[in-house]
Amino acid sequence: MRRGLLFLLLAAAQAAHAFTEAQTRAVASHGPWPPAFKADPSNRVSGNRQAIDLGERLFFERRLSANGAFPCSRCHLPERNWTDGEARARGLALTDRNTPSLANVRLQRWFGWGGAHDSLWSQGIRPILDAKEMGSSAAQVAKLMREDPDLACRHRKVFGTPSPDDEQLLVDVAKALAAFQETLVSGRTAFDEFRDALVKGDKAGIAKYPESAKRGLGIFLGKGSCSTCHVGPAFTNGEFHDTGIPFFIERGRVDPGRHEGIKKLLSSKFNLLGPYNDDEKHATATGTRHVLLEHRNFGEFRTPSLRNLALTAPYMHNGRLATLRDVVNHYSTISPDRLHSDGEAILKPLKLSQQETQDLLAFLESLQDGGGNYRRKAFAGDCGRDAAFSRPQ
Amino acid sequence: MKRWLLLALLAPAAQACELPGGAAQEVKSATSTILYRMAPLRVGEHFAVEFAVCPAPEAVKVDAWMPEHRHGMNYRPTVVAQGGGRYRAEGLMFHMAGRWELVFELRSKGKTERLAHSVRLE
Repeated sequence: MRRGLLFLLLAAAQAAHAFTEAQTRAVASHGPWPPAFKADPSNRVSGNRQAIDLGERLFFERRLSANGAFPCSRCHLPERNWTDGEARARGLALTDRNTPSLANVRLQRWFGWGGAHDSLWSQGIRPILDAKEMGSSAAQVAKLMREDPDLACRHRKVFGTPSPDDEQLLVDVAKALAAFQETLVSGRTAFDEFRDALVKGDKAGIAKYPESAKRGLGIFLGKGSCSTCHVGPAFTNGEFHDTGIPFFIERGRVDPGRHEGIKKLLSSKFNLLGPYNDDEKHATATGTRHVLLEHRNFGEFRTPSLRNLALTAPYMHNGRLATLRDVVNHYSTISPDRLHSDGEAILKPLKLSQQETQDLLAFLESLQDGGGNYRRKAFAGDCGRDAAFSRPQ
Repeated sequence: MKRWLLLALLAPAAQACELPGGAAQEVKSATSTILYRMAPLRVGEHFAVEFAVCPAPEAVKVDAWMPEHRHGMNYRPTVVAQGGGRYRAEGLMFHMAGRWELVFELRSKGKTERLAHSVRLE
């Protein structure tokens, strides 16, 4: 009798998960993948092949940092899905935040955990100048770009005659770095295959996706309400939320998150309302022009993409949660008392069973691509062979 | 007979509220009518609202919030008068799926009136 009951329970848990019409529409909204490339109008070299090459060359360039030891790739490692595996990034000193992945970064509206930047190129300037990260200066970057034959040649090919203004050269470097980062797109996943099969009604394709992942997807869309914020093909709404992660850094110091991010954004000369935006009509600045600073922004952090998240541990803005299971447990047991009293009334403990936790993890892990779709290009200083281009003026 | 005459006189005024360019949603109160139109919405994308207010108020604001979530938008829209009681609000964004209330705040003669319309976003 007991064995029979156990069998029935197991059978119920493992029954083929069927998706309603509304759920199918919701699943479809998380694709197709990959999205088509759209050039960034605020960056005139976005999508430019030579700018992408220059950006890649600069991404691995140690001399952009004050001590000549820290390239961008020190914290954004290709083999770790463009993050570093540390709870908080360490450049010249320990920073306050976890290194975000650069995969699919071109799809973001705001950059950094607090969204202090409104373009990929303006975000690229911050770590170069930040005393805790690369600790460099516009003067140091400009000197490198003028004096290194290969870099000077590549810069001239992309941007024309270099400006005598150091800050303009720094912005050029950031725009080339952005052009390269725009190419970092994660590959197709088991979820994408399932999503396309579901949309087409391809039964064989649907059957290939594990039942546990299907049940987890059901929780993601339903009981978990995860898709309220993790929307669209990149699984993020690109906005900011308080998810109950403490924002104390150490005794007497807090991370204000989005609140500080908006203040920094609006005071930055590199924002999209400023003179370095190549989009003359400033249509790209809609968000910056209308963004609203409110008290509730304190302790809010940007919703991260979920693609390839199994490769980006530890998690949250300060790397406080070590594993993906810890993240699921956090939302399963979250205390509403931890959330702002004037904040959103969205989160409540999900109270997931062990089976549901396992299923949700199976779904999240199905958002991982095969990996290894980036091959670093070898640059042999070949641009410098053209003497007319290589000598700084 | 007098009642019919009164209705006939009122009818042209009611018909005068128009928003050229296609089908529009209507929001009404005892004193005001709003016709509005927006492109198909997507979560997390900025959008604009074209609308007409009858009778034209002295000032208009547009906002939106999610009653169940107790929060508004992360952006403050700007409203530009197009003339003839017509307006364009820009900079709106619904950053979550679910039920939103689009709120039109009309000010005239020292009084404020709020008209709300539910919008569900999948």
